[in-house]
Amino acid sequence: MFERKLKALDYIDWDKVNGNDVQHFRKLVTWLEDQKIRHYRIEDRKELRDINSENWPQTFAKYCSDVACPITTCPLDQLEWLLGFAIRLEFEDDHKNYQQATGNKAKNKQEAAVPCVKSSNPLDNLDFESNDFKNGVNVIAKILQVPQHPNHLITLEACSKIVCKRLNPSALENPNSVIVKGKAFPILEADLGFDMGDKVLNTAAKILRLLYIHDIRDLQTKINEAIVSVQNITANPKTDTKLGKVGI
Amino acid sequence: MYVSTKGVKKKKMVVRQYQEELKYLEKINNYCWRIKKGFQPNMNVEGIFYVNNTLEKLMLEELRNACKPGGIGGFLPGVKQIANVAALPGIVGKSVGLPDVHSGYGFAIGNMAAFDMNNPKSIVSPGGVGFDINCGVRLLRTNLFEKDVAPVKEQLAQSMFDHIPVGVGSKGIIPMTARDLEEALEMGMDWSLREGYVWAEDKEHCEEYGRMLNADPSKVSMRAKKRGLPQLGTLGAGNHYAEIQIVDEIYNKWAASKMGIEEKGQVCVMIHSGSRGFGHQVATDALVQMEKAMKRDNIETNDRQLACAHINSREGQDYLKSMAAAANFAWVNRSSMTFLSRQAFAKQFHMSPDDLDMHVIYDVSHNIAKIEEHIVDGKQKTLLVHRKGSTRAFPPHHPLIPVDYQLTGQPVLIGGTMGTCSYVLTGTEQGMQETFGSTCHGAGRALSRAKSRRNLDYKEVLDKLEELGISIRVASPKLVMEEAPESYKNVTDVVNTCHAAGISHKCIKLRPIAVIKG
Repeated sequence: MFERKLKALDYIDWDKVNGNDVQHFRKLVTWLEDQKIRHYRIEDRKELRDINSENWPQTFAKYCSDVACPITTCPLDQLEWLLGFAIRLEFEDDHKNYQQATGNKAKNKQEAAVPCVKSSNPLDNLDFESNDFKNGVNVIAKILQVPQHPNHLITLEACSKIVCKRLNPSALENPNSVIVKGKAFPILEADLGFDMGDKVLNTAAKILRLLYIHDIRDLQTKINEAIVSVQNITANPKTDTKLGKVGI
Repeated sequence: MYVSTKGVKKKKMVVRQYQEELKYLEKINNYCWRIKKGFQPNMNVEGIFYVNNTLEKLMLEELRNACKPGGIGGFLPGVKQIANVAALPGIVGKSVGLPDVHSGYGFAIGNMAAFDMNNPKSIVSPGGVGFDINCGVRLLRTNLFEKDVAPVKEQLAQSMFDHIPVGVGSKGIIPMTARDLEEALEMGMDWSLREGYVWAEDKEHCEEYGRMLNADPSKVSMRAKKRGLPQLGTLGAGNHYAEIQIVDEIYNKWAASKMGIEEKGQVCVMIHSGSRGFGHQVATDALVQMEKAMKRDNIETNDRQLACAHINSREGQDYLKSMAAAANFAWVNRSSMTFLSRQAFAKQFHMSPDDLDMHVIYDVSHNIAKIEEHIVDGKQKTLLVHRKGSTRAFPPHHPLIPVDYQLTGQPVLIGGTMGTCSYVLTGTEQGMQETFGSTCHGAGRALSRAKSRRNLDYKEVLDKLEELGISIRVASPKLVMEEAPESYKNVTDVVNTCHAAGISHKCIKLRPIAVIKG
């Protein structure tokens, strides 16, 4: 009981205390006052130290109110509060020292979070700026028919998107699931809604619009899927032709 | 000073002759007229209306008749109503009359007006939404062609008629409890989705995603709920209908293809319906509240029928919340009928609705008030846009239209009259700038209901439809002449005017082969 707190306070029998044992309880309270809390003057602690006295409970109650313990109901809770109080006093006595300890510990933890594992993955050791690598990216782009961006890393990103989306195992197995159906829309003739005064800029804006619409379509499809999965639980459409009545 | 309708009418009409009235109207171009300030008292902004030569004659004729001594009873002429709306507090831009404009309660039907949300004087008016709150049109496509449907046309019409109860006092076949209704009012189409009546993709292709989030069923009277409960999943009467239609013409093949319409002859289903007695009761309840609020807050209007309240007043907020509940009711209603139509087709063709590709192309509301962002005089403003007999028509790339229509612009569904054709238009940037992204909603009445009943014979009307090869199932044939094509303006005139004026573009024309109606 209270092992961690007792250990922190250097109580000798920290692992053997039983709060429900009257002797243990009273001994511990006396020890706390004598060693840690020291609220009373030494001569005033006599009654508290008399742990075999019949009046001890009253003494304890008075002690609790003297140290302004907010708990009045259960002695065990009161003891717990006293332990916490003792720890706080102990910390305040020497807080600079303790703060440093926690500070150091936190620092160590942060350092530990940075991986220092030596990679065995050959990709991590690649030189992404080497000509060899750049040429490789360009060859992949050509095979996948991806237009090349001046920054080869962006070209690589585009290639990766195509591979992930169109060339993943399930897409290869069932190509119809990823091939876009429907007719192409003459987007370049469509109304953009505003004019930026430059044909190239307008075309770029149209392409951005398309990308945006594509994202929103994905979102809407997910919303629809969510609705359908809820419907699977809640739906129960009913009709009752007996209720029907044609008016005049 | 409070001016009553009749006061204004009598005073203005008698004092001013038709020729003098015309001085306040200016033709800007072949499709557009301006109504100058002073045409009616206290106009805050100008009015504008879109007409071609034919519609122009109808419009001016109406005004001329009203100027005659003695005049005609009933509503003010549409052009006067547009001007009265321009005199409402907080209106911005212009009071806009669309080509199908005709007199209605307070606001003309085919009138849109926007009010600045940040102006504390701005108002919301139930007359600017109409009694059939969120009346609207939904279009379903199929992968069937005319040759597949023609031989079983009669059976299909009958099957639709059996599934979708029509007429005054009809009751739906989808069982609903009072608790279901409360949930439906709050959730709109999400309720239909949860219960499994519609598909996830339907929501995507519905204005406002089929749910107004500010709906509050607790603001709706018990009376409205009682009227509404048995009516869910029914078409109603009046100009409401469900039609089996054939693609007759494709004007913009790319936009049509985005909507899943590839070829002439393809079969579609159009459902035109609203919030039934529920919405009517919500509007009636609100009008009573607003008359009180007007007295309290000293709001003056040119016409008693333009009852309104400040948007931020309790009455204004209560109306918006209950209107939203009625809008949700209408979406659940159209969703239920979508479900029933799919069932009818599935039974007839022994194929699942999925295999018939019966997707919702779009669902529009043409009687509604919504909070939207618009650019007014170069500044972005939050507006309460009233569209009464007017359809939202947002341009390409607008964030509030479905992703599938980002490149084409919002599909605008224009229901024709019984037996004539219907159209799908798309929204344009010009419409966004000129009419707050609004366009026409249908043909628009040319004859009043009473006049139609007097002048037309229902048998002739039905015979004529038969001659055209249109199967018809109707609950009350004697009221058919009210909805006869002769009672309406020509929808093609209306649509061509919108196209020529640039406020929306023609995309698809549809013609009916079977009609069911109340």
